[in-house]
Amino acid sequence: MIKHMIKLVWNRKRVNILIMIEIFFSFIVLFAAILGGVFYIDNYLKPIGFEYQNVWRIGISDNQNREESVASETSRNNEPAQPGSPQAVNSKAETVRQLAIAVREFPEVEEVSFATIAPYSNSTMESAMDGDGVPIRFGVDIVSDDFQKALGLQVVLGRWFSREDDGQQYQPVVINQLMARELFGDSDPIGKEPRRPKKGPDKEQSNEPPRRIVGVISDFRKDGEYAASENFMFRRITIDDKMEKTPNNMLIKVRPGATAALEERLIKRLQNSARNFSFEIEPLSKMREEMNLIRLAPVIAGGLIAAFLMIMVAMGLTGVLWQNVTQRTREIGLRRAKGATKNKIYQQILGELVIISTFGLAIGIIIVSQFQILKVIDFISLRVYVMSMIISVILIYALTVLCGLYPSRMATKIHPAEALHYE
Amino acid sequence: MVTSEEISRTAKQSIAHGSPDASDMIRMEGVEKVYRTDRIETVALSNINLAIRKGEFISIMGPSGSGKSTLLNIIGLLDAPSGGKVTINGKHISSYSDRNLARVRNEELGFIFQTFHLINDLSVIDNVEIPLLYRKGSSGSERRSLALQALERVGLSARVHHFPSQLSGGQQQRVAIARAIVGNPKILLADEPTGNLDSQMGDEIMDVLKSLNQTEGTTIVMVTHDPRQADKTERIIRLFDGRQVD
Ligand SMILES: Nc1ncnc2c1ncn2[C@@H]1O[C@H](COP(=O)(O)OP(=O)(O)O)[C@@H](O)[C@H]1O
Ligand SMILES: [Mg+2]
Repeated sequence: MIKHMIKLVWNRKRVNILIMIEIFFSFIVLFAAILGGVFYIDNYLKPIGFEYQNVWRIGISDNQNREESVASETSRNNEPAQPGSPQAVNSKAETVRQLAIAVREFPEVEEVSFATIAPYSNSTMESAMDGDGVPIRFGVDIVSDDFQKALGLQVVLGRWFSREDDGQQYQPVVINQLMARELFGDSDPIGKEPRRPKKGPDKEQSNEPPRRIVGVISDFRKDGEYAASENFMFRRITIDDKMEKTPNNMLIKVRPGATAALEERLIKRLQNSARNFSFEIEPLSKMREEMNLIRLAPVIAGGLIAAFLMIMVAMGLTGVLWQNVTQRTREIGLRRAKGATKNKIYQQILGELVIISTFGLAIGIIIVSQFQILKVIDFISLRVYVMSMIISVILIYALTVLCGLYPSRMATKIHPAEALHYE
Repeated sequence: MVTSEEISRTAKQSIAHGSPDASDMIRMEGVEKVYRTDRIETVALSNINLAIRKGEFISIMGPSGSGKSTLLNIIGLLDAPSGGKVTINGKHISSYSDRNLARVRNEELGFIFQTFHLINDLSVIDNVEIPLLYRKGSSGSERRSLALQALERVGLSARVHHFPSQLSGGQQQRVAIARAIVGNPKILLADEPTGNLDSQMGDEIMDVLKSLNQTEGTTIVMVTHDPRQADKTERIIRLFDGRQVD
């Protein structure tokens, strides 16, 4: 019977190809929406590698140097490299030290650290490294020694930055596990000094000491739970005379239960220590909410559009199938006359639909697989990709079968004598 | 050689005596058919009594609208009577479920129509195989060989992979006959099988039916307008306005 149905579907390809195309496009749209959803859920279920609870960001802006600060805040693909004038540097380092001391005096404050870019902020720094001739891209942040404790980063190999890195002939860096695996596979990354590319924004400079990996952390997904895990590297800020510019962010860990009143007191105190600077305080938990909203919005919108399209497709498909059944009244009557039960008719209409869907889905799967094979969407893992494909296939089958239920039922209602009555 | 009048008489007697003959293939007792559409009631058949014996070849004649097709559809289980009793090969089919009706249609009955009703998107052989698809436990190769045998019997072995549109009307009707006989039914029902054919092709079809009746012993009930074809059958049942006339 299946062979018979395939033959029939094939011989009626002119009619069926339209349904097939409709199913194909529905699959593509649905797959895109499902892929987004599964990608987010998959990310959400993985640890972000840091603790945002009770961590506050204190934004520091140097009013005298406002433009530079703003420029670096939005910089992409670029680690800040312009040296300020030696005198200014000196006093900046002193100010930052004073600020740290002032904040540490509060008993509610447990840790104080500095970072160029705060988690859940809209800024990003990216760089690349030479992995056997292939540039390996990664996110970067430049942070102080206390950052690891303030954010609760988990060191899985080696160590975090410390005083022992002062005055060394290398720049210490800490990378995440993902990057360690990409650079070195299963071999030990500690002590390795990966080369920087000869060209590009982060190119090797002869006067700079090499970067040496001193530690590996589990992960650091600065954009939070909905962002994919990406290669990440921490470089070290030293608050000394060589400091190039004031870090933009102070990240402090406060005792649980700290309130807005503490924020006000902190701002007042900071303002007194550095009159030329301005400060703003925001808990990471609040930044997280905003970031997650921004990230979720397009997926929700995409999901709604896809759902709407699916409803339109479902209605259209039901209509087309119904019309097909009407056009096949004689054939169905004949089959009944030749011994088909109502059940057999029902199965045949649904079965043919499943066959058409299978053709449409097969083409869809082939096309959608190309994106993964050609690495067009390389930030999405194969696992998420395959899972999304399976879910989409199941949903499309469910949708088409659902659309076919009513027309199939109508087909069983066809009265053989009337169907075969000629005019 | 028995004349049609005699058979007609014996059939009537057996019904009148209420003693069903075991050799009756089809029996109808007091069969009525009323079509109700909105407020119009059409009495298509009223008080039909007949017995058709195993191996008979009979024809049903009557003017257009006299209920010939309705009668044939009721015998062929494509339509249910409004009243009366129908027995097919000893089975009282009135209480049959859809599944059981389908089985009787499939195993005991073969239907041939004026307009052939072939599926245009299937080749000749695939059309002929259709009844076998609704039969349990037949393999693809079995179906194929039975279909080929049926096509051979109607003399169409050379057109197996043609599509219906590539055949003449007479050839198409022969495909339809092959499809009707592929499952070896005991009864063939033909509703004006030669109605759409010229007389030469009509004669060919009649020859095929006649030889099926003679060699296989198939009981054949044929509706026809054509007295020439009706005369080739053993007995004629005449209908007028839904009633049997003698
Ligand atoms: N499905 C139907 N609904 C209503 N009336 C019908 C239907 N089928 C047949 N009839 C009526 O029943 C009568 C007998 O029809 P039919 O058996 O087709 O006649 P014949 O085959 O002898 O030309 C006609 O009056 C016809 O209009
Ligand atoms: Mg008729």
